[in-house]
Amino acid sequence: MKAAVLREANKPLEIEEVQISKPGPREVLVRPVAAGVCHSDLHFLDGSYPYPMPTILGHESAGVVEEVGSDVTYVKKGDHVITCLSAFCGHCNKCLTGHLSLCASPEVSRDATEESRLSIQGETVHQFLNLSSFAELMLIHEHALVKVREDMPMDRAALIGCSTTTGVGAVFHTAGVEPGSKVAVIGCGGVGLAAINGAAIAGAGQIIAVDRVDSKLELAKAVGATHTINASSGNAVGEVVEMTQGGCDYTFEAIGLKSTAEQAFQMLCSGGTATIIGMIPVGTMVELHGVDFLAEKKIQGSNMGSNRFRVDMPRFVDFYLSGKLHLDEMISKHIKLADINLALDALKTGQEARHVIMFN
Amino acid sequence: MTLITIESEITGNVWKIEAAAGTATDEEDVILILESMKMEIPVESPEKGIIKEILVNEGDQVQEGQGLAILDTDS
Ligand SMILES: [Zn+2]
Ligand SMILES: [Zn+2]
Repeated sequence: MKAAVLREANKPLEIEEVQISKPGPREVLVRPVAAGVCHSDLHFLDGSYPYPMPTILGHESAGVVEEVGSDVTYVKKGDHVITCLSAFCGHCNKCLTGHLSLCASPEVSRDATEESRLSIQGETVHQFLNLSSFAELMLIHEHALVKVREDMPMDRAALIGCSTTTGVGAVFHTAGVEPGSKVAVIGCGGVGLAAINGAAIAGAGQIIAVDRVDSKLELAKAVGATHTINASSGNAVGEVVEMTQGGCDYTFEAIGLKSTAEQAFQMLCSGGTATIIGMIPVGTMVELHGVDFLAEKKIQGSNMGSNRFRVDMPRFVDFYLSGKLHLDEMISKHIKLADINLALDALKTGQEARHVIMFN
Repeated sequence: MTLITIESEITGNVWKIEAAAGTATDEEDVILILESMKMEIPVESPEKGIIKEILVNEGDQVQEGQGLAILDTDS
């Protein structure tokens, strides 16, 4: 099969012929139909999150089951599925206490002694986040996918695999936004827009979108923002505090910077909670004013929207098909796998919504 | 002899050890691979040297700041 291989940070991906192993007892071979190009792929491409190479990036996809391992009963050939990097074992302490997305069990990947799922002429290709979706086939654990309705368009379904789940999940599960609350979202990329959409579905009273790009602020309004702030003015915190008459109940940081993480905390009213979704580079420290803790301000991380994706994703599909979840606006372009580098470059400029790779 | 301890930047598990004691390494050579939050994270040699000792085993849990390997940079 063909796949886009990353051999060195900051170098273009190369389309190469890659060998894929046969499904083990609990593995599923998936033929992706669509794969989103997500901003987090960039963090690994530019080396701010180191990853062993060669690897195949991509972690947001939807497709059709091609073949299942001997013990798999959940899906069969032909089923439509969304993949998710939050593969869960189902029996560790995290899984058994309802925190499936924090499962760190190594059993969902192959161990170092087994044949690698992906290879190029005998050389190991490191599977990315147990998925590697910039490829014509994916070999994944059965707990890294969920079955979905067949009337769901695959390109929209792919987005649910990461950005929707991350943004909406942060609002629903990590933060637990209540109806009527005041919310600000910093960063209006795919994840930030999903958080705004999630806040609207949750019934937030005020939803303030903060970004530096006007076209993204327009998109933010289309998916549910009640107010927008162009942060180029340099005083986003002051403007949010003024608009909300004292700060937000919930803020969400969806960029991954020290400065914006600190701003998310500064935008809170007393008792408010800041949720950091963005991936802050390894080694970066975040500073807070200690006195703010007297006002019971809270800050927390959110990884993949604290999901229980087998439950969440079919609900998000229903939200889309009933018009509550806006995914059409999130896709700026459909591309072929061969054009992956152009999509990654476009993402770097931050001007556009998502490109989605269509395999055919 | 100048010995430096290579520490873990994160909390996670040791997935695979790529280099044994006695191995000569160049800057950026991968010594071992950690696994944390679904990510494989390579730990690279900070400079040229010889690995004096690997302080962990495959499957071990490691904490942020924990020593993973000792590198002799004089050789
Ligand atoms: Zn993503
Ligand atoms: Zn588990």
